[in-house]
Amino acid sequence: MSMPDTIARWRYRAVPDHMLGEILTKRWIDNAIPLLFLVAVVAAFGSVIPEFFGAANVTNLTRQWGEFSLLVLALTIVIVAGGIDLSVGSTFALGNIVALALLNVAEWPMPAVVAATLASGAAVGLVNGLLVGFLRLRAFLTTLVTLIIVRAIVNMLLLHYSVLIAAGFADSDAWYFLGEGSVLGVPFSVVVVSILAVTAHLVLTRTRAGWHVLAIGGSRRSAHNVGISVRRVICATYVVSGTLSALAGVLFASRLGGAGADTGIGLEIVALTAAVVGGNSLGGGRGSAAKAIIGSITVMLMVNSLVRLGVTSGANSLLLGLVLLAAVAIDVRWLKNRHKVLSKVYVSPTFAALPPAPATEAPSPYALNDRLRHVELIGLGAIDGPEDVILDEDDHIYAGNRTGDIIRFLAPDYRRQEVYAHIGGRPLGMAFARDGSLLCCIGGMGLYRVAQDRTIEKLTDETNRSWFSVIDDSRLRLADDLDVAPDGRVFFSEATVRYEMHDWPVDCLESRGNGRIICFDPNSGVTRTVLRNLVFPNGICMTHDGQSFLFAETWGCRVSRYYFSGPKAGTVEPVIPDLPGYPDNINRASDGTYWLALVGMRTPSLDLALKMPGFRKRMARRTAPDEWLYPNINSGCIVRFDESGHILETLWDLGGENHPMITSMREHKGCLYIGGILNNRIGKLKLDGADPEWTGPASYWGHR
Amino acid sequence: MDGARLLLGAQVIGGLTRAWDNLLGRGEAAVTVPPLDGALRPNRWLDEATSRVSLPAVDCLATISGRLVVSAGNAIYALEDDSTWHKLSDYEADVACIAPLGAGAQAVALATGDIALEGHGFDGHRVRVAPDVACITDMAASGTDLYVTNGSATGSSEDWQLDLLQKNSSGSIWRIDLKSGRSRQIAGGLAYPAGIAVDGAGLVYAEAWKHRLVRIAASNGVKAQVLYADLPGYPGRIAPADDGFWLAVFAPRSQLVEFVLRETAYRNRMIAEVPRSFWIAPKLRSGCCFYEPLQGGGVKHLGLLKPWSPTMSAGLCVKLDGAFQPRLSLHSRADGATHGVTGIAEHQGRVFAAARGDGVVVSLALAELGDER
Repeated sequence: MSMPDTIARWRYRAVPDHMLGEILTKRWIDNAIPLLFLVAVVAAFGSVIPEFFGAANVTNLTRQWGEFSLLVLALTIVIVAGGIDLSVGSTFALGNIVALALLNVAEWPMPAVVAATLASGAAVGLVNGLLVGFLRLRAFLTTLVTLIIVRAIVNMLLLHYSVLIAAGFADSDAWYFLGEGSVLGVPFSVVVVSILAVTAHLVLTRTRAGWHVLAIGGSRRSAHNVGISVRRVICATYVVSGTLSALAGVLFASRLGGAGADTGIGLEIVALTAAVVGGNSLGGGRGSAAKAIIGSITVMLMVNSLVRLGVTSGANSLLLGLVLLAAVAIDVRWLKNRHKVLSKVYVSPTFAALPPAPATEAPSPYALNDRLRHVELIGLGAIDGPEDVILDEDDHIYAGNRTGDIIRFLAPDYRRQEVYAHIGGRPLGMAFARDGSLLCCIGGMGLYRVAQDRTIEKLTDETNRSWFSVIDDSRLRLADDLDVAPDGRVFFSEATVRYEMHDWPVDCLESRGNGRIICFDPNSGVTRTVLRNLVFPNGICMTHDGQSFLFAETWGCRVSRYYFSGPKAGTVEPVIPDLPGYPDNINRASDGTYWLALVGMRTPSLDLALKMPGFRKRMARRTAPDEWLYPNINSGCIVRFDESGHILETLWDLGGENHPMITSMREHKGCLYIGGILNNRIGKLKLDGADPEWTGPASYWGHR
Repeated sequence: MDGARLLLGAQVIGGLTRAWDNLLGRGEAAVTVPPLDGALRPNRWLDEATSRVSLPAVDCLATISGRLVVSAGNAIYALEDDSTWHKLSDYEADVACIAPLGAGAQAVALATGDIALEGHGFDGHRVRVAPDVACITDMAASGTDLYVTNGSATGSSEDWQLDLLQKNSSGSIWRIDLKSGRSRQIAGGLAYPAGIAVDGAGLVYAEAWKHRLVRIAASNGVKAQVLYADLPGYPGRIAPADDGFWLAVFAPRSQLVEFVLRETAYRNRMIAEVPRSFWIAPKLRSGCCFYEPLQGGGVKHLGLLKPWSPTMSAGLCVKLDGAFQPRLSLHSRADGATHGVTGIAEHQGRVFAAARGDGVVVSLALAELGDER
């Protein structure tokens, strides 16, 4: 290996380029900028203000923060649904005075006080909700009006009750616990907020109601079109918002016990700033409880620290306004550019040097010939993309097609065909189980079984999630080929975990070990990944020892053997390390050897490009996918090999008239049946000297 | 002094701009190919031509004393009965191109750089442009002057792909006085001039690697004026027509090749490590072997190669008006069988195109094309 190649190899081994793109696909990456800003705020004020991290300061701040973050949470829920609630500050003040009045003047018991106060907040929210949700008034103006009205009501109540409140004295430890108590050293308000924030997070991310809220925020019309009751959900968000605001008022009342005209004035703007600084999009649809918490901490720290630094009130507001403006601007730019950046960085080719390709001239076992020229054609023009073909004991042919059916061509002449089963997805590899049911890998769906009575059953569509994978790789994206072990366990390959089925060329461009082999055990119903980091694993075929299987790695141009039981259990041995083309399915031949389909041939230009990842990355960025350098899948061949990796014979279709690409072949009663994923025919080739009685199901399960 | 400083400044800015463009894939680094549209809208004229006569390695076409003459390998043939080739003469080396000298005489350029002057008033004596000129691509006569394009100073015309990939700009245009045999270079530093035509007082040449047609003064080569820029292929020989000219575009441009041309490291390694016929480079005929590069759109679906698929070879002839603007075009697309048109000529109401890639000469009646016009 030359010097530049060695450097490139170590460079791409050391730096996991693909991580960046995978991180950017995560929704939580939206929190990155708010979190960085929070860290910056803490660092800045922490270094300027003495005793910033002192116990007294922290306790004092957290109590205030508990109340404040309730307001932010309230506002967040409304914003996520695409609205805005400016009345949170007034409702907060209302909650404060109602609680104090009921407690000190009406002398209600504490639980009744809390309940009634929350009800008052909910009532304000309901008014907002009815106006905005059902009468469809503008959220901004409506809540601005309720802000003024509720503020007026608070002022009127103050006139009547402020003296009485000041005179009264509630003798209730439970009441004071709300504002001054601690649970395990944590202020009660913080405990409340934590519980509510976790609840809000779970509701928004895990429940139907939460998804409705997010859906409406994302697109009100679409949400309506899919049948979500938009008006009711929007109304509900305002009720929740009002209730949470009133709850904040209760906590405030308990902590300070005083009612003043300035309670909660301007609080809605501070809360709004916090919600947006946290990363909640004002446009709706994108937001979370975590963002509300991050934003509320950030703004709380800023406001308090600026006060402690002696910044005047006006300048304080000005700074807050500027931060709000910046947050909105960053949010818009982020939303607009994130997917652009993602599309640029997600595709990350790696260094992939293949061993020198064997020749295809005369002394080579791969020497060109015309043996596939005279195949008999089955279903020409009547089947769209038979990736795999398989025959049962009664000689019927089964093949998947592009529209998600498993087609059955009926013996003996195969002129008639029927839809054996419609599964959807993209049927790929197939195998017969011991009981005669047809197991099939469905691209995009998982592993399925079609029983002999044609009932379709999903066997598995997920496996154990890798601990150190950034993207969630538990769901099966591209189950490709399978085979069944003597004990009934199904081993199947998943070609790539990074791309959907139709993006397979991108995976070729990357040529990283993105694929894996998975085992499904029908006895326990457990699915587990057995081999990882394979380069587009494709065909799988059980060997005759019952302890191992052969598997092909398409972009790796190699065939290996994996032992799943016996003395060598868990080991992988190379069988054919250097193929001249890209291997696809492997199946048994009648004489104990194996057939291997080469879906395409290696080209020197692509082999060179595989050693130059930067070249491929730029190609992916700058040229259209139709212009990309592909593996040459316009010419393929069929190879027969034995367990020691010797190539016994090669069958070519020079010129590719019938079988430009070959993804699969099955031997059955002295004939070879050939399929291709982009082809519109199944080929049938009479084999000289093959056992005319041999069938695949009998080879696996014995004659029935 | 100020001028020099200005020049240096411009160079620095140019370098920075290029680096920036290269980073973002903009400007010169943008990998774009003009679409086939307007007069160049694809059709299948070349493949549907009524007359197809095969002749392996056919290259150049010319009308000499009322007879259509073609060069193929080291021989010159004439077409008889519209279907058979009659060998007129052969030479010790491959024929690079042929050109009529007026009044039944012809000039035959060989791959060695020799030019044989034959017929009517010429005795077959040889002239040479210059000792080191050996990549003659086209010739055009005007009076007693013969204008010769030399594609590259470094390689032969068989090495044209290498010349493109090396981004050479070493071609030249020469004038030979047929009476005295004296020659003079009238333009140099050209990116593979592959075709030439005399137009009034000027010369129009096709600069293949810059995909353009340029007019210069015949006398001294100055006053270069770009007539037709940004062609979607590599322009070759230019032949006069009744009302304008025919241009043979011998290979299509492709986004992938344009991209490879901007990837110096890959290009150098490809030239060094990959056999020439398997390069990512335009060809006269592609898809002959599975070791050739394949592009995404070229994958066969349901047994068919799509006509629009990206291809390294195609057939394209462009009819130009008197101002060298395209009027109509004849195509053979990715799935066609008339690729790599290197020669073109109008003769007896028909247009003949020599597709070197597929070794065939096709002809169409000009009247048939009338509808298209």
